[in-house]
Amino acid sequence: MTSARVDSSADGGSTHIWVSGEIDLANAPAVEEQIRTAISSHPTSVALDLTELTYMDSAGMRILYRLASRLHALRIVLELIVPLDSPTRRLIELSGFESIAALRPIRS
Amino acid sequence: MLPTERNDFSQSSRARIRKPFHSTVSYARPVSTAGEPGNTLTGVEDRLRRIKSVTDAALAHVDVETLLTELLDPVRELLGVDAATVLLLDVPSQDLVVTVALGMEATVRQGVRVPMGKGFAGRVAAEKQPMIIERVDETNVLYTVLADHGICSLLGVPLLSSGTVIGVLHVGTRCPHRFSEDDVKLLQLAAERIVVATQSRRTEVERAAALVFQRSLLPARLPVVPGLELAAHYVPASSGGVGGDWYDVFTLPSGWLCVVIGDVVGRGLVAADIMGRLRNALRAYALLGGDPAEVLERLDQQVLHFEPETMATVLIAMFEPSFGRLHFSSAGHPPPLLALPGQTAVFLDVPSDHPVGVHGGLRRRATTMTLPPGGLVCFYTDGLVESRDTSLEGGLDELSRSVVAGPVDGLCRKLIAQFVGAEVPGDDVAVLAIRRQDSGEVGPLDLVLPALPWSLRDIRLAVRRWLSAVGASPRAIADLLVAIGEACANAIEHAYGPGSGNVMVHLELQLPDVLATIRDTGHWRPPRQEDGGRGTLFMRDCSDQLRIDHGPTGTNVVIRHRLSQAACR
Repeated sequence: MTSARVDSSADGGSTHIWVSGEIDLANAPAVEEQIRTAISSHPTSVALDLTELTYMDSAGMRILYRLASRLHALRIVLELIVPLDSPTRRLIELSGFESIAALRPIRS
Repeated sequence: MLPTERNDFSQSSRARIRKPFHSTVSYARPVSTAGEPGNTLTGVEDRLRRIKSVTDAALAHVDVETLLTELLDPVRELLGVDAATVLLLDVPSQDLVVTVALGMEATVRQGVRVPMGKGFAGRVAAEKQPMIIERVDETNVLYTVLADHGICSLLGVPLLSSGTVIGVLHVGTRCPHRFSEDDVKLLQLAAERIVVATQSRRTEVERAAALVFQRSLLPARLPVVPGLELAAHYVPASSGGVGGDWYDVFTLPSGWLCVVIGDVVGRGLVAADIMGRLRNALRAYALLGGDPAEVLERLDQQVLHFEPETMATVLIAMFEPSFGRLHFSSAGHPPPLLALPGQTAVFLDVPSDHPVGVHGGLRRRATTMTLPPGGLVCFYTDGLVESRDTSLEGGLDELSRSVVAGPVDGLCRKLIAQFVGAEVPGDDVAVLAIRRQDSGEVGPLDLVLPALPWSLRDIRLAVRRWLSAVGASPRAIADLLVAIGEACANAIEHAYGPGSGNVMVHLELQLPDVLATIRDTGHWRPPRQEDGGRGTLFMRDCSDQLRIDHGPTGTNVVIRHRLSQAACR
């Protein structure tokens, strides 16, 4: 079974979420639910850190898109932290995600 | 009715327990039957001939219980007693277990156990002395069992094998009875006969059971790992000595390969039993993650807490998913050998820490080494090099000259033939060899897995490993994992609907490319989700060439990607 871990911490109005491990069809619903729980406190900004994510496919990308549109509707700023040259970064760039959320190699 | 526990021996009851022939205990009473020919000391020998006769070949194939029954029957008759009982020591629990009880058969079915040192039998065993109780009451026996059966007087002797207690033989009468010195002598001689007969029978049975047990614990087949060749041989020891040698090879969810070889100190079924527990504990601890030293430290805790009498040497080697690097930790186990193509084998410089089960050891160390393609690592237990007449040093020297980087199965056979020969070894011997294939030797990869979401991780593990073995670049590996993953996810999500089926993955080298084929036998359905096309987009972007064929017999996806060059886009 594919496994991923979601950790989060809230600092004032901003929430930092770390996702590590792998995301595919098998665990995408569970990961999405955990991310949802992490942002339930209505922060003003969310930083999603994918530095330790070793594999992601279109099922993971689907989570990112749904998260982005939800946060956009709630006027919450989303920032993605993905190291340069990582396989995850490549997929995010390939899918044109940069146009809807800021992409940074390290936490700003 | 539950037996009542009586652990306390009050002073008054202690006085009624006599140790015959003990200087501080008076033992002066007339032997009631003295003077009758059959009961003199010479008569004892005569009477014993009758016991001896039953140890003959007629009983060669019966189990221990039947054998004991046959031996006890004449004892009961000769001594004129109502009950005769044999309790055998269960070594791990140190309990005496009622094995045969003539006149009190129910106690066998009830599985009555007497702790060493407690009760009548427990004290006979603990003090290794004959003992008499003239009047049984609830204060001088552990359970009410004897009283329940109406036993009044008892005589017990220890069953001793080379000075070690293996059980107790006791006889009892329902009417008050004074056992004579001759009775004691006779029962001791009967005990000797019983020891000889049961020991040889038990050794035989135990050895056969241990062998079956050990075989069941060793991997029946080693895992098939693309990029590696694995072989192992195990030869059990002779003379009742099945030891606690074991080896184990398993993959971890992280894609690492774990190799274990170990040797539990001790022999027989007990050692094989402990080996089984250590093996399973070690598997579980390896699953928790960490380097080999951490895994061994967890095993230390387990053994010190649950198996305090145990000591074992263990070596763990963990292969990174690429197999290019190995991490070792050794708990007092002989060092493995590394052989590179065309070179003499060398002993790996693995620091040897204390064996498992030893208190107060220092922190365990783990070391790392690289394993180039074509390289071979050979693991063994000390039985291999110590079974020879030569010195340990000589054996190790010879071993290093004999290990070469070649076919692993042939190497294991050669080592067994050379070091063990036709003789049955005095100690167990286990040999395990692993060779990392050259990228050119790696054959195609074929996977067939159920079309279910949880197959995706297994597919990635196998694909990642195969691509490392054939020397794919990190970028090619990352691309192909996504492209193959998307093709498989499509098959899993869309091919079979609510039905079930398989997804097939085939990888082969067509230099300078890798060719991946993903197949299902279901029906293609266009993606339903609004963003469902993204998977196909990723597939296309992460391959140099992509072909998708939908037919009536299923979908075929062919992905081509350069082996060592970055893909595209």
